[in-house]
Amino acid sequence: MMAGKGFKNLYNLSGGIKAWKKEVAVGPEDVGLHLFSGGTSPEEALITGFGLEAGLRDFYLSVQEKVINESTKNLFAMLADIEIRHQERLVQLYAESTGVDISREEFARKIAEPAMEGGLTTEEYLQLYQTDLESETEVLGMALAIEAQALDLYSRAAQQSENSQEFRTVLLQIAEEERSHMAKLSEYMDQHHNTL
Amino acid sequence: MKWLQFLTPVSSLNWQEAHELVQQHPPGDVIFLDVRQPREYEASHLPGAKLIPLGELDNRLDELDREKSIVIY
Repeated sequence: MMAGKGFKNLYNLSGGIKAWKKEVAVGPEDVGLHLFSGGTSPEEALITGFGLEAGLRDFYLSVQEKVINESTKNLFAMLADIEIRHQERLVQLYAESTGVDISREEFARKIAEPAMEGGLTTEEYLQLYQTDLESETEVLGMALAIEAQALDLYSRAAQQSENSQEFRTVLLQIAEEERSHMAKLSEYMDQHHNTL
Repeated sequence: MKWLQFLTPVSSLNWQEAHELVQQHPPGDVIFLDVRQPREYEASHLPGAKLIPLGELDNRLDELDREKSIVIY
């Protein structure tokens, strides 16, 4: 149907989504997009992104208080700390795109309210993944799934044509950050495969 | 008869090749196009995939950038 209509590079994914061995995302096409609707400046995209990282950090810290297993507690603390590094990266992207240096704390004051990465709420995530919060393997799997949702959200938001080109470019940069977060988490899981 | 449609090559990629294609291109230059039904998309889709159900594809081709690489599933 698309061949011969001016498309330069078309590929079929062999085996479709069933053959895809990496993380997938769930939810309808427009879930979470309200967070990025009508965006014009890169600053807006980065502030929302920063809020999402903050929301995820709060989530990890709140679950950390509930779990009993000491090593899982430490894992949640580590995941919460990783979100600070993600926030710092967004502050750096902000400095690169605006030429204005700002601290993470100052940036945090710009957030209207923290939301969860991927656009779902904490409860929705817990229900969705049915994670055993005392199991390190399951918790890491959930963290990876949340990053996949975030990658999905930023990529879908970058496709919204009503947003400015500048705004969409920054969303694609944040999406790439999410992709690298996923790669690092996968690497961590591989390294600790024998101890988990 | 539209002969050109039979001459445009459409190659197949396995999941590793599709993943590498994304990594080798600048952000946003590879589009995953999901042509299944919305319910199937909702249950699971590749992160960032654009949904255009097969039945609507003919009328919505202009939503896709012809210069980009498009991986269809």
